[in-house]
Amino acid sequence: MRRALAALAFALCCATASAQQPGDMLNDLPAAVAEEQITVSSDYRGSYITVFGVNPDRRGRGDIVVVVRGPSEGAVVMRKRRVFGLWINGDPVEFAQAPSFFAVLSNRPLRQIANAQSIWQYQLDPAASAQLASSVPTGGDPSAYRRALVRLRYAQGLYQSYAGQPRPEQRGGLTMYQGGLFRAVVRLPANAPIARYNADTYLFRDGRLISSQRIPITISRVGIERRIHDLATTASWAYGIMTVLLALFAGWVAALIFRRT
Amino acid sequence: MIYLPIAEMPVSVLLVLLVSGAVGFVSGLVGVGGGFIMTPALIFLGVPAPVAVATGASQIAATSFSGIMTQTRRKAVDWRMGLLLSIGGVAGSASGVWIFERLLRLGQLDLIISLLYLVLLSGVGFLMLSESYALIRGRTTRGVSILRRPARTVAHTLPFRIAFPRSGLYISVIPPLALGFAIGTLAAIMGIGGGFILIPAMIYLLRMPTNVVVGTSLFQVLIVSSLVVVLQSAATRTVDLVLAALLMLGGVIGAQFGARIGAGLKNEQIRGLLGILLILASLKFLWDLVIPPVEPYVLGGGLW
Repeated sequence: MRRALAALAFALCCATASAQQPGDMLNDLPAAVAEEQITVSSDYRGSYITVFGVNPDRRGRGDIVVVVRGPSEGAVVMRKRRVFGLWINGDPVEFAQAPSFFAVLSNRPLRQIANAQSIWQYQLDPAASAQLASSVPTGGDPSAYRRALVRLRYAQGLYQSYAGQPRPEQRGGLTMYQGGLFRAVVRLPANAPIARYNADTYLFRDGRLISSQRIPITISRVGIERRIHDLATTASWAYGIMTVLLALFAGWVAALIFRRT
Repeated sequence: MIYLPIAEMPVSVLLVLLVSGAVGFVSGLVGVGGGFIMTPALIFLGVPAPVAVATGASQIAATSFSGIMTQTRRKAVDWRMGLLLSIGGVAGSASGVWIFERLLRLGQLDLIISLLYLVLLSGVGFLMLSESYALIRGRTTRGVSILRRPARTVAHTLPFRIAFPRSGLYISVIPPLALGFAIGTLAAIMGIGGGFILIPAMIYLLRMPTNVVVGTSLFQVLIVSSLVVVLQSAATRTVDLVLAALLMLGGVIGAQFGARIGAGLKNEQIRGLLGILLILASLKFLWDLVIPPVEPYVLGGGLW
């Protein structure tokens, strides 16, 4: 029953989200990503997503906003409370939808580019994409939970925002070149989910959306990482038995060496 | 650096080998399994607690299997008792994995693991410290209190009694089953083998002779930890094969060195030191639970 409700809620959210979002993607802004495929192998330590594009306006008017979004997933936020002197996790507050990864880049502060309503409509802010699914415990503030979710994800590096040129010590940021060319670089941390992402580019002029483009990016495991993960998810029993056999083999080898010395 | 496919994080190979080697070294030195040090050590390294618990069990399986091969040659395993303890342990670990999954969904797993470790580490730490203190002070009567076994226990009065020839016992099957169940549950939730609880319980509660206690407990630990690995793989998918392989390698090598160096050292001093170490570790768990959090909100629900 709960699952059915959750599925229904999810479907509704998707319906509203899709009514808002891809419909608004005009796909008329010339842009491309440096790598459409990012591979995760055993030496993976995170990566960078680079988006290139050209402002189609000949006189270079307007502002560029680039948003890299991971898939939306449910999320849970709990507030710690004190019980018998110990801090334990309090009642969970559920979000039906929250972006698992969200990086927003703009050539100047976002609030100068678009008004709050546009930011909300085009979901240019991670908080705008987070939808509460359950009631907040009595005395709690719903927006505090929303802010906490965003803050915690920022701390994990899963949410990022950059306004203007990258600072010297970091690679992430949006750089504007002559002739309307721009380049956006987003750091993808190792803990970012391995999934399909979208790099969305928007051109605003005088606070209005002029053109936009959506480019999919796939992050996938390759090689041994992929084999292990596939085995663990599709044949989890065999995977467990394999791990035990490995353990028994390691123990057997150890006992042999131990007997000799 | 190597990327862990299940924990979904990169770790330093050298660091994990060093930590698991150090834990193996201590366990070889003192003669304990080491699961109750390995799991918290992994949590301190930043490995998510569910992955640390489930993956630690595979390292315990490796260590206990190498131990049991040595014990079998010495004919120091009471198979009948081991089988009963294992049956209890199998049921216990199944219930433990179920509790583990429930807690994971409720977002309270980390808290329960912290609390259990707080109690366990401080308890074992104080026991070791007081034991070594007694041994260093007067090494005659009090120190060997572990050998003063009571003549009759509840195990002799309960029904369904059977004979255990190798242990020279005629006791009820209920206490071994219950004991195995309790250890199996703890093993699944905490990522420990449980030998350091099982061994005193076998001596005091079941009145088993000390020469078969270690081998028999290893048998139970092997069966339960192997099952925990398989069940956790299937139920929570938190067993990381790459991390497991690193732990086995480091732990096994460390244990060999520990056992060799331990043979030439004074046991009571080592135990005293380990006792202090465990109490310090438990204080760290207590500290994290007691101080007001800087960030009052936490993310929960999934594995992270």
